[in-house]
Amino acid sequence: MLDQLLIGFSTALLPNNLLFIFIGVLIGQVVGALPGLGPSAGMALLLPLTFGLEPVTAIMMLAGIMYGAQYGGTLTSVLIKVPGEASGVMTAVDGNAMAREGRAGAALAISAIGSFIAGIGSVMAVAVLAPPLASFGLRFNAPEYFLLALLGILAIGSLGGSPIKSLGAALIGLMIALIGVDPLTGTPRLSFDQPILLKGIDFIPVVIGVFGVAEVLHSLERIESVKPIKTRLRDMWLTMEDWRKCRFAIIRGGFIGLFVGIMPGAGASIASLLAYLTERKFSTTPEMFGKGAIDGVASAEAANNSASHGAAIPMLSLGIPGSASTAILLAALILHGIRPGPQLMSQESVLVWGLIASMFVGNVFLLIMNLPMAPVFAALLRIPYVYLAPAILGISLVGAYAATLDMATVWMSLAFGVLGYAMIKFDVPRPPLVLALVLASLMETSLRQALLLSFGSPMIFVERPISAILLCAVVLTIVLPIMSAVRRRRRVGAKPAATGGNGAG
Amino acid sequence: MRPIEAVPALFILILAAAIYAGTTGLRLWDGPTPGARFFPMALSGAGAIIGVLLLLAQRRGLETVEVEFPDALGAVRVGASFAALVALAVGIPLIGFVPMLAVFMLAMLLVVLRCPPVPSVSSAVIVAGLVHVVFIRWLAVPLPMPFGI
Repeated sequence: MLDQLLIGFSTALLPNNLLFIFIGVLIGQVVGALPGLGPSAGMALLLPLTFGLEPVTAIMMLAGIMYGAQYGGTLTSVLIKVPGEASGVMTAVDGNAMAREGRAGAALAISAIGSFIAGIGSVMAVAVLAPPLASFGLRFNAPEYFLLALLGILAIGSLGGSPIKSLGAALIGLMIALIGVDPLTGTPRLSFDQPILLKGIDFIPVVIGVFGVAEVLHSLERIESVKPIKTRLRDMWLTMEDWRKCRFAIIRGGFIGLFVGIMPGAGASIASLLAYLTERKFSTTPEMFGKGAIDGVASAEAANNSASHGAAIPMLSLGIPGSASTAILLAALILHGIRPGPQLMSQESVLVWGLIASMFVGNVFLLIMNLPMAPVFAALLRIPYVYLAPAILGISLVGAYAATLDMATVWMSLAFGVLGYAMIKFDVPRPPLVLALVLASLMETSLRQALLLSFGSPMIFVERPISAILLCAVVLTIVLPIMSAVRRRRRVGAKPAATGGNGAG
Repeated sequence: MRPIEAVPALFILILAAAIYAGTTGLRLWDGPTPGARFFPMALSGAGAIIGVLLLLAQRRGLETVEVEFPDALGAVRVGASFAALVALAVGIPLIGFVPMLAVFMLAMLLVVLRCPPVPSVSSAVIVAGLVHVVFIRWLAVPLPMPFGI
């Protein structure tokens, strides 16, 4: 394996390949930072440009866009609270809260470092464990995917604030995702014979509306009181305390990201959500989650970058795309005359190991680009908000249009902007809506496929070992908060009684 | 509990009812397998439970919905900004994305936010130029061009 990795490095380090890896990560960084354009849209837009390149160079560049976009998405999440991808929602919450306290540089720096460490770790896992991990990922079938998505939805309830309101917001997201056509039978559903609704409602207009448009409209109410954020150099860099809080968060996030990434279809958004929630359990300051927890940012960013690399495992070893981005990577392989599948690693070892080595190189490029630039990007917040607000609105709508090349997406973004604004006014959390919208398709499809496999019997969720473990986790996620709430109420009820007793005595 | 605080719970309940009513023509079960209405019905039921739970919790004081409305000036500013966004969306197919974006920026900065003219014009030109360079020149995204060209 070491020999093959060395051959991979000798391919990746060729000047021409180095140049295209750099171009790939740079473009990825830009498309990730543009609201609306995610890695898959960026890769699809730039796929035709790779036709004149050698297959290995083309794949290295496209992969660079894929993981570069994860770094780029952090910029808009932290600076303007508009996540470019669903996997950036948790970063938008805590990263932006840090930015408002003048710590945007630290949020961006820990994102870059967390992404780098987790990215390098998962690339090593790709190199060492690709075949066995891929076969483990394949043990996940419809029942396990459904329970994993359900676990994600229920876990959203514990994101902070009121669990009922969080679950209510998640339900709104799930209900929005019903619009379009039934994913299994193709029957129009809740489209009311409107061609726009038949296509369904994409994540992009929802996230741009609910986060971007709504946030700016809310800020415009009292724009005179919004002062430019002071970004002092000493607040830009990580302190020893920050690093102490984040080092294990990055490792935990990286492992969760890799584990979720290797499961085809699970995606970086579930990875970042699970990593964030897990980190809240481990954190010494869980009350800071949602208000600017640096360890929350570190774990979510480590997880989403690790997942985007981990998704390469089923793609390379089995020819199964783990995400929309790896599906485009797979399409690129086919367009360049390479047949993906289980034989890929043996028949195209130079390409596969070159790609793995290029991920090491690309992550180094991204760290070098991002770490010194964090204060520069953060300094953008010194621009008075009165000038930033219309620019954010305008560029968000350009991003919405560019994602689908359809004006309907722009109109939908505005409609969801109104919904998001109402959610702010009525104190309803917005991240659960967006996360549930992303998980909805996986949840419905896998639930129905599971019941199809079992001819309608729900016992399928108990009979399979991994599914049974996940079911236990689901039950515990429901039961434990109820038990702790009951215990808390009893304790609160007992205290006045005890106080009253003492007083009487 | 003020009546307005019931809006989130009522919204979820109305949405659950709309899902129930909007999927009546679809099958719940297709033989032994779940049909196109299966998941919407599950969500509709869950929505009804969550909506009622939220209402009950609010009535008993276990949940609070802190409604925060803007003052008159803030409301006018938000309304005018949203109207400018709608005008932007209407004007894009007619005038093109980049020119309309510049007009939107100018309208927002000069009319809605009352900024000085020179920085406002500079900001509009910079943002429109940035969008042109990044989206049209670099990424070759076919944004609508002036007068549908």
